[in-house]
Amino acid sequence: MRVTVCFYSYFKDLTGCTQTTETLPDGSTLDALFDKLILRLPKLAGMQKSTLMAVGVDYQDRTCILKEGDEVSLFPPVQGG
Amino acid sequence: MKRQLTLTTEPIAEPALLAQRSLSSGMGAVVCFLGVVRGTQGNASIRALEYEVFQRMAEHQINLLFDEMAKRWPVDSVRLVHRVGLVQVNEPSLWVEVVAPHRGEAFAACQWLIDEMKRVVPIWKKPVLSDP
Repeated sequence: MRVTVCFYSYFKDLTGCTQTTETLPDGSTLDALFDKLILRLPKLAGMQKSTLMAVGVDYQDRTCILKEGDEVSLFPPVQGG
Repeated sequence: MKRQLTLTTEPIAEPALLAQRSLSSGMGAVVCFLGVVRGTQGNASIRALEYEVFQRMAEHQINLLFDEMAKRWPVDSVRLVHRVGLVQVNEPSLWVEVVAPHRGEAFAACQWLIDEMKRVVPIWKKPVLSDP
């Protein structure tokens, strides 16, 4: 399955892109996606503990099982106000 | 509960917002909060903040907060305006108004909303340093 991954804030600088796609086996979790992304985008490795993850417009934890066509967003802690 | 959410690149026009205020009978408290860009960040002097937003998710998350606020307090209306893009020092970046029957619940709901917004709403800010 293929998923789209979007980056926000300084994660765009770390990865050098605003968005990418990733191909994963069916039933893969957000955790598996992150591990695969690190192979291509190694600067994400240092952000593992502080990364917030969303699928669509809802926060999800790393055990979330992805499905074909999901839009995943990865970003650092938020700072509104 | 009436609700209004605006994420905008335009300056926050307080007089217009105040003119649009509509109070139901029985409302005894209006709490307004204005967040303003400070001229310092840590030891650095800055001239502006650049706000970035993940718009669809921010709108969804703020509406979830509005839903939760309506469950917790007898709020009659809430309005929230957040600037995005470049906001100069001393300019408002956030305006929140909560209307409720009594001041206790209006203050509590407003404080809670802002705290939660800073925790879950996907907005980020990057300082623009002053010229040396």
